[in-house]
Formats: sequence, C-alpha cells, structure tokens
Amino acid sequence: MILVVAEQRGGTLNRASWEALACAQQMGGEVSVLVVGAGVDAVARELSAADVRDVVVVNHTALADYTADGYTAAVTDVLSRITPDVVLFPHTYQARDFAPKVAARLNRVAITDVVAVKRDGDRVVFVRPVFQGKLLADVVSEGDAPCIVTVQAGAFQAAAVRRGASAAPIRQLDVQIDEAAIRQKPEPPFQESRQAVDLTQAERIVSVGRGIKEQANIAIAQQLADAMHAELAASRPICDAGWLPMDRQVGSSGQTVAPKLYVALGISGAIQHLVGMKGSQTIVAINNDRDAPIFEVADYGIVEDLFEMVPALTAALKS
Amino acid sequence: MDTLVLWLLVLVFAGAFVAQVAARVRLIAIAPNTFEITHPATRVARVLVEVFGQRTTIRERPIAGVAHAFVFWGFIAFAPYTASEFLAGLGIVDVTDSGWFAAYRILLTPCAMAVLLGILFLLVRRTIIRPAGLGTNVSIESVVIALFITTLMATFLLTWWIDESTTAGRINWWVHVSVILGFLALIPGSKHLHLVFSPITWFLKSPTLGNLPNLDFEKEEVGLETVKDLGSKAVLDAFTCVECGRCQVNCPAWGAGKTLNPKTIILQTEEALLAGTRDRALVDLYSAQALWQCTTCGACENQCPVGVEHLPILIGARRGAVSNGHAPDYLGAMYNNLERRSNIWGLSYGEREKFVETAGLETFDPAKHDVLIWLGCAGAFDADYQKSMRSLFEILRAREVRFGVLSKERCTGDAARRTGNEYVYQELATANIETLTAAGPKTIVTSCPHCVKTIGDDYRTFGYRVEIVHSSVYIAGMLNELQPDETAPASTVTYHDPCYLGRYGGTVDEPRALLARMNAQVNDPVRSRDNPSCCGAGGGLLFADKEEEPGTRISDMRLTELQKTGASTVVTACPFCSIMLKGAQASRQADVHVVDLMTFVNGRVRKL
Amino acid sequence: MHIAVCVKQVPTRDWQPRLNDSGTWIRDEDASFEMNEPDAYALEAALRLKEQHGGDVTVCSAGPARVTQVLREALARGADRALHVQDDRFASADVYGIADALAAAIRDEPFDLVLTGLQSDDLGAAATGVVIAERLNRPHATIVMDVQVDGGTLRVKRELESGWFQWVSMPLPAVVTIQSGINQLRYATLKGIMAAKKKEIRTVTPAAAIDARQQIARLYAPEKGKKTHLISGSPAEAAKELVRRLREEARVIA
Repeated sequence: MILVVAEQRGGTLNRASWEALACAQQMGGEVSVLVVGAGVDAVARELSAADVRDVVVVNHTALADYTADGYTAAVTDVLSRITPDVVLFPHTYQARDFAPKVAARLNRVAITDVVAVKRDGDRVVFVRPVFQGKLLADVVSEGDAPCIVTVQAGAFQAAAVRRGASAAPIRQLDVQIDEAAIRQKPEPPFQESRQAVDLTQAERIVSVGRGIKEQANIAIAQQLADAMHAELAASRPICDAGWLPMDRQVGSSGQTVAPKLYVALGISGAIQHLVGMKGSQTIVAINNDRDAPIFEVADYGIVEDLFEMVPALTAALKS
Repeated sequence: MDTLVLWLLVLVFAGAFVAQVAARVRLIAIAPNTFEITHPATRVARVLVEVFGQRTTIRERPIAGVAHAFVFWGFIAFAPYTASEFLAGLGIVDVTDSGWFAAYRILLTPCAMAVLLGILFLLVRRTIIRPAGLGTNVSIESVVIALFITTLMATFLLTWWIDESTTAGRINWWVHVSVILGFLALIPGSKHLHLVFSPITWFLKSPTLGNLPNLDFEKEEVGLETVKDLGSKAVLDAFTCVECGRCQVNCPAWGAGKTLNPKTIILQTEEALLAGTRDRALVDLYSAQALWQCTTCGACENQCPVGVEHLPILIGARRGAVSNGHAPDYLGAMYNNLERRSNIWGLSYGEREKFVETAGLETFDPAKHDVLIWLGCAGAFDADYQKSMRSLFEILRAREVRFGVLSKERCTGDAARRTGNEYVYQELATANIETLTAAGPKTIVTSCPHCVKTIGDDYRTFGYRVEIVHSSVYIAGMLNELQPDETAPASTVTYHDPCYLGRYGGTVDEPRALLARMNAQVNDPVRSRDNPSCCGAGGGLLFADKEEEPGTRISDMRLTELQKTGASTVVTACPFCSIMLKGAQASRQADVHVVDLMTFVNGRVRKL
Repeated sequence: MHIAVCVKQVPTRDWQPRLNDSGTWIRDEDASFEMNEPDAYALEAALRLKEQHGGDVTVCSAGPARVTQVLREALARGADRALHVQDDRFASADVYGIADALAAAIRDEPFDLVLTGLQSDDLGAAATGVVIAERLNRPHATIVMDVQVDGGTLRVKRELESGWFQWVSMPLPAVVTIQSGINQLRYATLKGIMAAKKKEIRTVTPAAAIDARQQIARLYAPEKGKKTHLISGSPAEAAKELVRRLREEARVIA
C-alpha cells in the first residue's frame, strides 16, 4: 500500500499533492491519502475525488499551524497504525522540513526529490537527479518498509490523477500529540512588503531593453507584466535614460535577480545584463535580431518585432 | 677675507644640503628593498633618453617641455662654469683666466639666453596660465626657484658689462654665488630634489609597465598595509616627484571627477614618510575610495617625466587591504566567482563547453595544431564577444591555420592581481601554468590584451615562458593573405587603443594596419596609441556596481572623445573595452556603432 | 555562543561527470572538489553570528582525507577549529551514514547552534540537517533566510513557497539549514589563510559502523541539456504556444 501525505496550509490544498497522488497511482497497487491539520475535512473531501482506497484525516488543534515537531509526531503516529510500503510526500518546502525527520524517527532515510519511479523485478527503483542534475540516479531502498519518498514538483502531472467513480471513504484518525513537546513557535506567514520594488524577491519579471525604442512604449510591457503578475524591470540603457527608475535595473550595475520567469523584451543580452539574471529558472526572449546574445541563454525564444508580439502575448494570457 | 667667508658659507649651505638629503636617503635605506637592476642596458639607455633627452618631459607638453629642456641643458652647460667659479673663490685653483674659459664663456652666453627664455616662460605659465595639473595654489617655492635661476642667468650675462674687479662686479659675483648656495639648501626639501634623484629613479623604474612583485606566502607577505611597508623604490619615487601633474591630467579617474589623483597619492606618501607616521594604514592615508578607483591603465606612470611608478603603490595598498578582508563588496563577489567558478562572472563551465562545441573547436594538440587559442573569460562566456571570437576562427580557418583550445581554461587571474587578491591570482596562475605546460603550445593567440599581459609577463615570473600574441598581431602577420571585399563600402572609423594592448603591449600599428587593409580610414581620437584614455574597465572596475560615483562614468567620457572624431564606427580590440564602450553607447543611445576588430575585419575581408 | 557548521566537500560545479566502472558512483580521482556552496552560506551565517554575539565556530565534515581542504578553507574564512570525521566510505555514503556520523561526533560538544546548508551539490537530498536534529533530539528549521539569537531563544525566518515567509522561534540548542544566497560570502583573505595554518583540525574516526539505508543501483546522464526552443508562427500563434509551454512545460505561470 502506498500512502500519499497531502499538503495543506490554512485549509488550502497544495496542488503538488495531486502530483504525488499521480505518482502513487502510476506505481500501482492500493493508494491511501493522508491529510493532517486542524479542520481539514474540506481538504479531505477534495482529495476523496481521486481513485484511492481511502482518505485518512487527522484533525488536531496542535496541527493548526505547521510545525516540524507537531507534524512529525502526527505522521509517525499514523504510520505506527497503518503500515504502508511506501510513503509519498510532494517535495515541497514543508515536506523538506519534516519528511526526513519522519524517516529518521523510523530509523530510515528519505529518498527525496524523485522524478520517476520504475520497477526492477520486485524492487521499486526511484529515479532522482544528483550532482546538480548532471546525472540521474536509480535509487533503491535498503531495509524495511515503509520507504519514505518525496516527489519533485512538476515531475508528475496533476491532471493525470485518476478520479474515482464515487468519492473515496474518509476515515478520521485520532493521534496523540504532546503539545508541550512542540518546540517550534511559528508566527503568521507574511509576504515581503511591497512598498519598495524588490526585484530580487519577484517571482516573475518582465524586462525591457533598448528594443522598446521610446518611453511611451513601456506601457505595452507594463500591460504584459500586469497580465503575468510580474514586476517590470529594465536593462541599463532604459534606466540611464530615466524611462524607468534605477531600482528597476537588472544587471551588474543594478539588481541581481533569480525569478521563476524572466521575460526579456528587446534586450540584446550584454554580459553585464546577463550576469544579473542568469539565475532565472525560465528565460523567455523576444527580439527581432536572431543573433542577439540573449537567445543563447533563453529557454524560449521568439524572433519577432516586440511591438507585434507583446500585445499578442498579453491577449493570449488574458484569454 | 672673501675666501674665508665663502668657505664658511659653502660649509653651512652644503651641510644643510647633505643633512636634508641624508634624512631622505635614510628613509629609502630602511624601507624594504625593492630595487631591481635587471636589463641594465635598457635602463641606461632610458636614463639617457629620458633624463638627458627629456623625452617624456617634451612629449606630453611640447612647449613647457622644451622650456624645461632649455633650463636643464643650460644647467649642464653651466656646471663646469659654476665649479670653476667656486674653485677660484675658495682659493683652490683658478682657471677663470685661461683662454679656453674665455671661449667657454662665449659659448655659454646663448645657453644663458635659452635658460632665461625657458625659465621666464615657465614662471609665466605657473603664475598666470596655471594649468590644472599644477594644482590650485601657486607654489611660492617654485616662484622663488624660478627667480633664483633668472638671477643666476642675469648675473652671468651682466659679467659682460660689469668688470669683476669693480665693486659692482664683486656684488654681482656674490649675488651669483649666494643664489647658488641658497639653491643648494632649497633643493632637498622641495620638488627640486628631482635634480638629484630622477636619474636614479629612471634607472630603477621597471622596464615593464605594471610590474608587480609576486607575494611569497611562505614569508607571510600580504602586500602593503602601512607606510613602513612601502618599498625603497616607492620611497624614492615620493622624494623624486616633481609635482608636474602629468599623471593627474592623464588619469581617467581624475578626469571623470573621481576622488583618485595619482599625484596626490605620491604627495601623501612623501608627507607620511617625512612625518614619520610609519604605522599609518595606507588605506586610510590614500582613502579606500581613491584606492579602488584606479583602472590600472598605467597612464600616470607612462607620462611621468621622472620615473615614478604609481601602480606598485596603488596595487600594493590594495593587496594590503584585500589581505585583511577590506575589498569592496563587488570584488568580494568577483573573488568568490573566481574561487568557485574560475571565471570572473561566476558562470557555469557548461556555458564554455557549449560554445566550444557549437563553434566546432578542437582540443589543442601540439601535433595537430599550429596555435592555441586562449578564449579568456569573455571569449568563453560572453555571447556577444563570442561573435568576435567566431570571426577570428573564420579568418583563421579560411587561411588554413590549425588551432585548438584547452579543454579546461581558467581566468588568467588578471582581475584578481590588479585588484590585489594575490592569493586567488596565484591559485589560478598555478593551475593555468600546469594546464598550459601539459598542453605544450609554442604560440598562444588571444583576443584579450589582459590575458596577453598576465600570461606573457606575469606568468613569466613563475618560470612559464611562451609566445603569446594578441589576435590583431597574429592576423596582421598574414596581411598579404587578406584582401578586402570590394563590395564593402569605404568607411571612416576611429580606433580605441585598449590600455593593455597599446600602453602595456605597445601594439598600436597592427590593428591600424588591419583597418587600413580593409579600406577603412582611421581617425585617431584625442588620446591614442601608447597613451589612450581608458574605457573604465581595468583594475576590476568592470565589476564596480557604482562606477559612475562620484563623477561621471569613465566609459561615457571615452565614448565622447571617440565620437568627436566624427567617425560613425568605433573599433576596439579588447573584450573589456568592448563591453564598456557598448554599454556607454547603449546607455546614451549614441549614434555610433561599436565593433570589435576581428568582427570588423571578418565582415570586410574577401571570403576565400 | 558555540556554533557548529556541518560542511560537505563536493565536486566543483564545473566538473564533468565521469563514472566508476560499475556505473554506481563517480570516478573520485577525476574530480576536483570544493566546499558545497549552500554550506558556504551556512558558514558565512555562522561567522556573522559570531561577530554579533561572540563565541566560536567549529566546522565539521564527514569524509575522506581530502576533506581537510574544505576544512582548511573554512578556517581561513574565520572558523576557529575544525572537526574531521574521517573515513573513505563517506565519499559515497547516503544521508543516513553522514548524518549519523556527524551527530555522533558533535553530540558531546556544547554547541548552542548547528548550521548546515539546505542541501548538497552532489546528492542533493536536503535532509542531512534535519536528520542530525532528530539524532540529537534538537528542534530544527529548514530553508532559513535570517537567524536571530536572543538569549536562549532562536528566531529564524523560513522561506515558504510563492514569496511567503514565516518567522519561527525555538529554544536553543537547535539545528538550522541555511538557504543559499542569504548573505554575501566573504572571500578567503591571505591573513585568514595564514592564520588557518595555526588552527586545529581534530580528526576522529566514526564511532559506529556506517550504515546505508539506500543504494544507488545506477548513475547515468539525463537525456537533454538546456536548449533554446525557438517558437515560430504568427504573433498570435506564437503567443498561444508560448503561454501553453510556460503553463504546462515550465509551470511558471498560472
């Protein structure tokens, strides 16, 4: 049996949980889902739509806010009563914080950041990136069940989760938690103040370069940024010209940024700019010069007049 | 009676001279010995050209230089005359009545006129014209000296009209002799000490620009931390400085309105040495801001007429600061890039491999290849500069030059060395020398003048000798095989000499020959050839995040100079210059096209 | 305050993978090594805490003899002493083996705080710090952006996902894993390198057998490297295709 430990925060399900579920279903065999928290019945109902044996719910006031100690205690208590072969977590920041602890408490070690699961005879082989993604490793667990595994975000498709013909049964489970033994005291989560522009914290950035030609044209980039929920940034010439303030400049004489998405509009890609954004996870370049160096670092490139392309992109995002 | 008085005066004034000089010589003697006398022939030749020929003095400022040369040569002409007068006056031997002395006096007369002309012009220049390099205040001492010299010449010329035996004649003689004695006493405490020291300073100046001692870590050498760490040559330099300000007006940082003034650095050194504050931290003495504004372009040293070396002091003090963890933040980040990624930008080595693969480069093998191409950081990682590298490869391939690259290449360490991180520099140098020795190239070609300097000069001090040439030199070597494409339109360009190519390397004709060969007319900018003004990138300033503060950007200043030639195309031959000038062009949206030499040549050469 | 920093020595980031004959681990002799970058940030955080609160920093590593290189480097950057749990088998040991050995080695030392990087550049399990905390029965926090110490209480800023953060307090002694990039790393100074030569590196052998809980059956190169996908078509088509790819492939927009 495979137990998927779903993740929720404040009663909202983390969509990475579906990906872990997809992985579990793909592995075959019975799948059970566990959700822990305080007042998470609605989350359990959401999960019960999946084709699983059951959804186990643990509600406890001590689990209202995530703590490593509290969640470790809850999950290990559950694992002492239901005995899965494999426990799957999504490889989220929360799972990274306590899944290894659960494993250690059971005298095991978590196989983390798994991107694929294979079978080799009767052995389950977990594939995970090692050496900065330069290599992949086929990993097998040594020792007794359960095997604790975390699944990389995006490695499995949430959309691939099989739905059940009817809602899966939801089972409440009571756990014993010594609240006094929870040593972490969390404060409410917060986002960094949005008063000042802090490009270094931005998740998405739309950045304009000289290809924008005139200050008035910055508006089309702003519209794209709004549609993408992105911050607007620029290369040095734009800020030197005063078209955007200096705190929006990316590059060696400005900010060093590492967003998930960096969209470079009309930026040629001088090295002084590239060093400021090379850490971006995904880079999109739109430039009418196919030879622009920016295409060397881009994941997605469109060789097109940006005045045609940007409004089209804004429209596509809105539709 | 006269004889006795003169004896007394000579003893007093000569004593004052000797005592003051001795105090300075003692400071030189107790300083760590940095005197080097390698290449003695070169050094002697340079003393002749620079001291007796007044080359640099005249080159930089022809009018004032010639005026100075008149005074200097006049002094030499007068030396036997003065000696004879004193010997006679002291009653030792009198040759002034001889026939040849009379002839000598006749010959001296035009010399005296020349000196007079020269010194009066210099006096007017200093008190009325007042160029910026001489500072904001008129030096009283210089005026006194000028008047002394005027008096000396006037009293000499008067001897044609006044008989020496008359009272007026005796007064004239005494005025002449007293001025000489006064001069003697004034020399050591003033910039006129250069009269004594500059031939020695020139002799001891390193034959190569930017020559730095390697630090010996085993001996716990960490660079210059306090005044007492300044080497003997630096101390000699401080006492030799003639305060002419040639270094100042040629300094790009000073020109851009920054804090650094190379002349101030030398004067601050002199002041601290004389004040005896031997434990004063150099970073406080010079100010950290000034210390980190030097691009190491070398203009100061190159234009100094008395052989002062600013770079060993500035870089030495940077070493002291860096060794104690006091580098600016942007350099700390760059050092980590070099330590962890072996390139200045901290980019992944995979980027270089991607380029090596897409450009179809082979791993160097001495049996298969004629030359080794050293990519350098820009060649390996800057997608823009890689266009220039691809142009170079095309030119070479079309002429069947067989070349390869190293499978593993690190930054030469130039940026670490010039900014004072000797540890990282030596780590990189050692590793590169090991790789290069194993690869065994006879000739290395690179497009980076900084790599030429570092591998060619600096690695040599570790015993690694190889012929390394800049790509412009290598390609110019096959000039006859390069025919311009007739369809390429005639073009007027300006060429920006990179400091490390023109000033350090003396490579000024080859790039121009290539441009001319490609039917380009070259308009030289205001500063060019072996005295270009810097693009602002050298000495680690490529990484300065606030390069423009205070003052303007050095790169903007240079682009303006280049634009003034009226040429629509700026050609340069260094990746750093290319980055800086393209940055300045983009930021100002300037109506000028900046292109690297190899790209320009390859774009206009007839394809084979 | 006594701080321990657990660091790992890993192949340099520009190392090109070469495998051993059985294809289960890398050829150690071909690689050059450096300090795991996330651990360098942990060390920097420790040095800053020491500058703020006084005390000392001990750098600890479990690994073969070559590990002294990174310990020496840590000493040069300002750590006061080093502890080396030496065994050749640590070169390819799993989290379980390394964390156990480190926990055993520091168990009896009076450390108020144990810091380490979020994950290693080799195995990348992101688990060692958490397992050490469990073994030592100390509270922990991971993916930490800021560390504050006030008396016996530790307050750390944790990074959550999607731009959210959270302050968490816990009693000392505790274990914290540091997110990369939270501070500006200092560089190794000559003065520091010279001083490091006089500092102590204590070498111990692992207290117990090195157990493994997982085994690498095979190592191999992934299929593709990073490539630029050029999207063509009319602006409208290209826009649609780009949005699709950003949503489904890169998953960077909602």
